[in-house]
Amino acid sequence: MPFVLSPFEYLEPKTAEEAIRFLSDYNKRAKVLAGGVDLVDRMRRRDIGPEYVVSLRSIPGLDRVEGNETKGLRIGALVTLRSVERCATIRRHYVSLWEAVHQIASMQVKTMGTMVGNLCVATPASDVAVALLALGAELRILDPAGERIVPIENFFVGVHQTILQPSEIVVEVLLPSLPPATAGAFMNLVRTAADISKVSTAVTLTAASNICKDIRIAVGAVAPTVVRAKQAEGTLKEQKLEQKLIEAAAEAAAREVRPITDIRSTAEYRKETTKVLVRRTIEKAWERLNA
Amino acid sequence: MIQEFSVVGKRLPRIGAAERATGAAQYVADMKLPGMLIGRVLLSPHPHAKILKVDKSKAEKLPGVEAVIAMEDVPRKAYTRYPYDMMAPAGVTVMEVKEHHEFYEDERIFNDKVRFVGEPVAAVAAINESIAEMALELIEVEYEILPAVFDPEEAMKAEAPIIHDSVSHNIRAHLPVTFSAGDVNKGFQEADHIVEESFRTYKQKHCQLEPSVCVAHFDLSGRLTIWSPSQTPHVLKKKIAYIFGLPEGMVRWLTPIYIGGAFGGRQSLTNEPICVALAAKAAGKPVKLIYTREEDFVTTESRQPICYTFKLGVKSDGTITAIQVKTFTDAGAYYSHSGATTGMSLQQCLWVYRCDNVAGEANIVYTNTPVSGGMRGYGNPQAMFALEQIIDMAAEKIGMDPLEFRLRNARGTGEPTAVYPPTPIENSALHECIELAAQRIGWSEKRTSRKDGSKRQGVGMASVQHWTGAAPTLVEHSSAFIKLNGGGSANLCVSSCDLGQNILGTLAQIAAEELGLQADDINIVTGDTDVTMFDSGTYGSRSLYGAGNAVLGAARQAKKQLLERASEELNAAPEELEVRNRRVYVRTTPERSMPIADVVTNATFNSVGQCLDITGVYTWSTLNQSANFNATFAEVEVDTETGEVKVIKVVIAHDIGRAINPAIVEGQLEGGAVQGIGYTLTENFVVDMDTGICLSNNFETYRIPTSLDSPEIEVILVERPVPSGPFGAKGVGEAGGVGMAAAIANAIYNAVGVRIKELPITPEKILKALKAK
Amino acid sequence: MKRQSAKFVVNGKPSEIMLASHMTLLEVLRDQMGLTGTKYGCGTGSCGACTVLVEGKPVLSCLTLAVTVQDKNILTIEGLAEGNTLHPIQKAFVDHGAIQCGFCTPGMILSTKALLDENPNPTRQEVKEALAGNLCRCTGYVKIIDAVLAAAKEIAKGRQIT
Repeated sequence: MPFVLSPFEYLEPKTAEEAIRFLSDYNKRAKVLAGGVDLVDRMRRRDIGPEYVVSLRSIPGLDRVEGNETKGLRIGALVTLRSVERCATIRRHYVSLWEAVHQIASMQVKTMGTMVGNLCVATPASDVAVALLALGAELRILDPAGERIVPIENFFVGVHQTILQPSEIVVEVLLPSLPPATAGAFMNLVRTAADISKVSTAVTLTAASNICKDIRIAVGAVAPTVVRAKQAEGTLKEQKLEQKLIEAAAEAAAREVRPITDIRSTAEYRKETTKVLVRRTIEKAWERLNA
Repeated sequence: MIQEFSVVGKRLPRIGAAERATGAAQYVADMKLPGMLIGRVLLSPHPHAKILKVDKSKAEKLPGVEAVIAMEDVPRKAYTRYPYDMMAPAGVTVMEVKEHHEFYEDERIFNDKVRFVGEPVAAVAAINESIAEMALELIEVEYEILPAVFDPEEAMKAEAPIIHDSVSHNIRAHLPVTFSAGDVNKGFQEADHIVEESFRTYKQKHCQLEPSVCVAHFDLSGRLTIWSPSQTPHVLKKKIAYIFGLPEGMVRWLTPIYIGGAFGGRQSLTNEPICVALAAKAAGKPVKLIYTREEDFVTTESRQPICYTFKLGVKSDGTITAIQVKTFTDAGAYYSHSGATTGMSLQQCLWVYRCDNVAGEANIVYTNTPVSGGMRGYGNPQAMFALEQIIDMAAEKIGMDPLEFRLRNARGTGEPTAVYPPTPIENSALHECIELAAQRIGWSEKRTSRKDGSKRQGVGMASVQHWTGAAPTLVEHSSAFIKLNGGGSANLCVSSCDLGQNILGTLAQIAAEELGLQADDINIVTGDTDVTMFDSGTYGSRSLYGAGNAVLGAARQAKKQLLERASEELNAAPEELEVRNRRVYVRTTPERSMPIADVVTNATFNSVGQCLDITGVYTWSTLNQSANFNATFAEVEVDTETGEVKVIKVVIAHDIGRAINPAIVEGQLEGGAVQGIGYTLTENFVVDMDTGICLSNNFETYRIPTSLDSPEIEVILVERPVPSGPFGAKGVGEAGGVGMAAAIANAIYNAVGVRIKELPITPEKILKALKAK
Repeated sequence: MKRQSAKFVVNGKPSEIMLASHMTLLEVLRDQMGLTGTKYGCGTGSCGACTVLVEGKPVLSCLTLAVTVQDKNILTIEGLAEGNTLHPIQKAFVDHGAIQCGFCTPGMILSTKALLDENPNPTRQEVKEALAGNLCRCTGYVKIIDAVLAAAKEIAKGRQIT
């Protein structure tokens, strides 16, 4: 394990277009730098050895949170996890996202790390990804041809793999405005407070008169990417909310996931606790709706 | 009678606190010497392989590289990293000492075959880190890969690969029944109930925040200076001289006063031999050998995994009639401390509770994994995890409160200690500790399991006997030297090492109290084996007691000289004089007094030619133990749906004898407790069973508790001074964590009725056990 | 490997450093500027011993490319005391037994400063949350948290007087 990084050329484009140009020119020989928490760590381990590092930090307009809960929220690529945590609108109206960020223990990681950067790392245990998946977020991606919007459930392809091509960058996360009578929650299980999640869940529930109008259930660390438990959702959609049905949905979620055994936990445990966490997260969201 | 002290018993801030708080403190990694080179080490990627060839040529040619070393460049002397083979066990002759340390020697600086993934194979020294790292990549090693074995039970089988020549079944040592007494078969026959169970523990890593590091330098006369954050400078200095064939006087070991934690991991040789070998080749330039955290994880030692099979016989009235223990220890690739910790562990299992019929045996087994060594508690945390659960099980069998069972059966004052050969327990305040801690945690109210939805709460306890130093198993001694200065200060010269526990500041408090000075008046001179006298080392909870007694002896000597001189000036016999507040007083007529400073000046510049430097020197050695005791209680909450355990509160009452500095004692117990919680619940040193690669070699994969994982902790200091201790003090450095795993395991059982017999106690195991119920 | 002159403002003082783009802030502080109070503890950003404040916010200098913090105000542990007068946080750590081996202390104190600058009256839980990125193996955190709460009180008192 080295102490020192391998040399590279550092580039700080002044516009997003310039950044895209660099990335197109250098293709796989370049990597994007936002907060650097993951990039610098992987460079030190020699997992990656880019010849060029393209920093986004001088590109204007990427470090803002814009909009509100009625129009929807736009969170720029350079917005840090700490800024997300401190955003009153997110704390009040996108509670599951706030909870996912708040339980990230290291203040330093939250100060340096960006939310978009976290998504691009695409770890299947990303708490932020789980919450955003349950919130129906979209990503605005810039590429040499222009830009496009991609729903987050189409963004992740595998472990540390997204649909991003080398010459593309995510510039924004778009959070939709949530319909009235919607509430959410996030929960996870960890070894110590600073550890990566063993299992994480997020739920966004829309219900009126105790009939579930819409529900999104996202689960993390139990498949190669964060996933939606679609069958679990199907169990509840358009149905009257009641305890037995929630338990059935949780059981369906547990059947849908494909966890592995690793240093943090076992496949068996993750499957079992997926059921428990999904149930509890739905219950929590429901409780918040009724409050 | 309550004694009033002016310095002892005060919660003084640790010395050197401001330096640590401002970044002024210089640790070894912060050192810069003229011409200093950076050393880096090449580690084996294979768990078991012969080294056929090491081609250093490309590395040597790289500009900026000044030394490349492998097997052929280093002494071939066999040794052990374990320090105490250089010290005699009690009652052993010089001849036997020689055999004693040859028994341990199973390693060399670069072995001709590697025995674990991460074993050093070669090293470089270069003008900077980048070049050193590039040079490592240019070294080409040819290995002949051998079959490897990672599990100790597998390693003991006939068909297992042999790791050390002529060590059959990889059983390096079999500790026989010397720890036994009476007749266990008879004892089991007398029992009304028998409890039997097996327990497993894993390797725990020290995770001290300062990674392994060393600086070494040969000067032009060939004299070697080593800078290392070690716990045992005098003993390791002798070892280095032995390995490198140097006269001991040619080796100078410097220990910084700032060490970033040790927890027993710096008792042994760590990377010093490699650093010295690099310095030997670096033509007079100092070499700083630096390790990454990942390298520190595998190249330095970890706590022995010890597995126990326990059988205990008990009568319905609570009498223990027989205890039988069989254990095996995973020593890893080299023997190091595994014999010693296993021995201590067995002794604890068999002797802390009153029982006439005890039998124990142990196998110490090599595996192709990183070396097991000394870590805080030294076999006792492992032993207590097993023993204190067996005790709870026995109490349950006969329907007795486990607290009562312990009060009834734990050995106390006057009875034999659990350290071999046993000496009488000088004083045990264990009963008081148990009663106080039980009351503070709410034992009687909380023993009936409480519910809150899917959560269950419970309390559990462990009672602990721990050693203050390893006497008489080892003959230990400490020396101290004091000189008084003009102006009324004193220089105290000791060899104890400040690992974070402020031993130097606390020793200064002892000296100041005895000399009638303030703590700030004491200057500490330390950290240089050319200046300090011998000290066995800073380990085994021994320094406050051992070095403290040396300091007290030296201070008394200096005081004697001081009072003899003062008696001339104050016109009173020395026996009529006393010191306090920086003055010498005539006891019965205190208006007759003079400043200590003046006594010293007048002695130094004596007008009639009777000049004297007022000094004291003392060597303190013991063949006795003064065991310390504690009661560790834990309150937990278990989530029955997820198996998660939350430690709500910990209470530890410790029999400290006298708390020379109560804040320091509390800090040791609190820190030890949280290490114990990590050991029990979240830490796990994992070796891949196919490749032998350590999968938990950094803080991301190996999880120690954060601030958010630290529960409410209450420590109670029970002060029943012991005559043999300085101002009555006993040890505490290790005891905070010793009972924690058992207390938590017992609390979990109280909460949810499942007993987890394998550490770490993870939610995965608890959930599985709950489902099986 | 190209080195370029870069301006750093550390502890209020500007310096010119010959910087290569792959150097971390930790290396620059320790090796180039001789500020060894900031420590290497793990290299993976897990222990927090390398914590410094950049524009008052806590970052991991081992994972920060130095080139990205040029022209920013950087505070290391050496910049906190005023001459020989300890900052109230430092004094509280000293007085409350919050320092054992001291290796985590610089990072712990700077994380504390960032907390108290933003939240002058934190609860015990908020203190734990602010320090969760700083590992300590010696103290069990008990006296560290006590020291932070005491420092908060002292600083508040100081504000009342002025």
